[in-house]
Amino acid sequence: MGETVHNTALNTEYKPRTGSEAMCEALLDEGVEFLFGYPGGAIMPFYDALPDYPLKHVLVRHEQAAAHAADGYARATGRVGVCIATSGPGATNIVTGLATAQMDSVPLVAITGQVGRPALGKDSFQETNVMGMTLPFTKHSFLVEDPDELYPTLRRAFEIARSGRPGPVLVDVPKDVQFAACNDNGYRRLREFPQPPAGPSLQAAAALLRKAKRPLILAGHGITLSGAEMELRLLAERTGTPVVTTLLGISSFPEDHPLYIGWPGMHGAASVNRAIDKSDLLFAVGMRFDDRITGAVDKFAQNAKVVHIDVDPSELGKVIRPTVGITADAKLALRGVLGHFEETGDDCAEQRSQWREEISESQKPEKRREDAARKEYGPIRIMDAIKAIAGDEVRLVTDVGQHQMWAAQFFEFTKQNSHITSGGLGTMGFALPAAMGVAFAYPDEPVWVVAGDGGFQMNIQELATIRDFGLNIKVAILNNGFLGMVRQWQQFFHNRRYSSTPITGPDYEQFAASYGLAGKTVREGDSIEAAIQWAEEQEGCTILDFHIDPEANVFPMIPSGMSIKEMIEESESSAAYGGA
Amino acid sequence: MAAHNTPRHATELNPDTALNPVEIRITGGMLALNPFLMTLQNKRMPVASFTVGRDGNGAAMRATILLDCPPESARRYTTLLSALEDVEDAEAAEETVEVALLKVGGDAWRESAARLGVGVHEEGGTVVASGETEKLEAWLAAIEGELLEDVVRLGPVARPSGTAWGGV
Repeated sequence: MGETVHNTALNTEYKPRTGSEAMCEALLDEGVEFLFGYPGGAIMPFYDALPDYPLKHVLVRHEQAAAHAADGYARATGRVGVCIATSGPGATNIVTGLATAQMDSVPLVAITGQVGRPALGKDSFQETNVMGMTLPFTKHSFLVEDPDELYPTLRRAFEIARSGRPGPVLVDVPKDVQFAACNDNGYRRLREFPQPPAGPSLQAAAALLRKAKRPLILAGHGITLSGAEMELRLLAERTGTPVVTTLLGISSFPEDHPLYIGWPGMHGAASVNRAIDKSDLLFAVGMRFDDRITGAVDKFAQNAKVVHIDVDPSELGKVIRPTVGITADAKLALRGVLGHFEETGDDCAEQRSQWREEISESQKPEKRREDAARKEYGPIRIMDAIKAIAGDEVRLVTDVGQHQMWAAQFFEFTKQNSHITSGGLGTMGFALPAAMGVAFAYPDEPVWVVAGDGGFQMNIQELATIRDFGLNIKVAILNNGFLGMVRQWQQFFHNRRYSSTPITGPDYEQFAASYGLAGKTVREGDSIEAAIQWAEEQEGCTILDFHIDPEANVFPMIPSGMSIKEMIEESESSAAYGGA
Repeated sequence: MAAHNTPRHATELNPDTALNPVEIRITGGMLALNPFLMTLQNKRMPVASFTVGRDGNGAAMRATILLDCPPESARRYTTLLSALEDVEDAEAAEETVEVALLKVGGDAWRESAARLGVGVHEEGGTVVASGETEKLEAWLAAIEGELLEDVVRLGPVARPSGTAWGGV
């Protein structure tokens, strides 16, 4: 192909081109570097044009992995991730990835091929109504039937994906539209800048924070999405307010900071849940009061007023009615609140020392239990060892289940945006492909996957992709031979009837070898630290298969829909549930 | 428990529900209607009725929905709907009017319509009736039986205000 004249707001010259070329140009004009995809009949024209453009395509082994890889890339970089699939089964396979991204507000553009326009609606080979199918869990879905609309629609898709509350957008392109000649219809990029929040509401929020005696900042994923980590830290320090994060807010605030107290909810620290119960102000930023945090809503934080800041206005009052609700980008809102403290010169940090001391006291028994467990072979020690050996720069990508909770509880996240997990949808099989996206974004930084033996097998085929691209991803499988979290619930709530939760798998050491990768089995009595050190010394992807106690449980636990009053702690579980 | 004046379950503090009319303007034709309806379903919006028509020049759809919930929740749902890609505007409607198409016998229905405050006119053998839902229902009940042969109720629609979206 000759010199490409890009159709951007800065350069509106154009030349006749095909739909496929317009698609590639739109991706280039959006600054896309990596595409994660899998070709097929209905997307072949696009794949035919692709080699002529400086776009790097990553051939995955399953379309679901393409969506998760794009998701991981987007979470790690803040840029829009892109995945590609063909029509029919290719498109249906990305659906879980789109729902995962939607639940966690991750900017993603999915491009799917579709049967040609004359074949639409005829139950043609590999035809599915992808647009209709994806509507419930995308920010928007497009079916492009006019070739002239292809380029602007793709550009619009990126705008939608990254603006406001980010999310996935699907663009479905019939095959003949990819072949068709298309003209420029004068696309102009609409730059959308977040609007600063209104002054009076900021003032009201600042006033509540100033007056509160037992405030907590509750920081969610919105902090990372808006890049508000510094503002969060400044506000916490300026006001001496302890910081709690949601699961997705983990790593938006350094966990070695004296004001960090942990994360709450179903498997959050008991001391954090108790602090929320005693708090007189929850200053919630970029979070949505998920049911895993609140449990029984009518019993949640009964003594607290609530400041709720979120970029999505429909979140305000959805679950908890705020005392002050502010629709705003987290960064701008926190700057505004900070500004009020700077203006007034108020210093309320000192008056909260008793509150901080109270929380600190309540954390001591937990820390003693953790310190004891650190000496034993098990999940806590594995998390400690990864952190100690892989270093502060490591990015940890977790799957879904018990190991996810252990990682969130015991890995000390000090690096910004270093914790990547599927929170809202809880998608097993997420970690390995998502880690690919992270590794492509940061090829020189350490990336560790922590997965269970159940979830790891859901996208295990991506080891081939990882090998092909020489990605330096280290994997720690916490192998208990069970679908552990489901087994734990069966133990607690179904009289220990372990129905369909025992699960087998391959010999991961040999399995890794079959892909040309290094692997090692680690059992009780072996040195966890030596195994992790060995993994770090191997070139490329390495798999460590840690055999752990089959009936190890995650504590504490608040049963679904219940309150902190019903929290199950480790000490009481043995008697009540015969816990391991 | 210490006194507090705020947060609880969002709907718990608002036990009084009402029918909140919301008028929506949607562009993009049938494909745009699809995500709109899907959103109503996904977010479990308490839709008591849904009526859709076209605007004056036929370019956009105008939908009127009645949300059976506290006004505060209705405002939140309206905000959510207004953020959809193809929704040009979404706002609370001040008043709604219901329209019905009828096939009737005899002539006594004119007098009862006038008495009950229902606007009627005849169009090629079909009677077009409009009015507030309660009045329309009272009138339909009054003529049911001997006079009323068939009826199609089109549902409540927002009265044209002439101000929404610059007028039509």
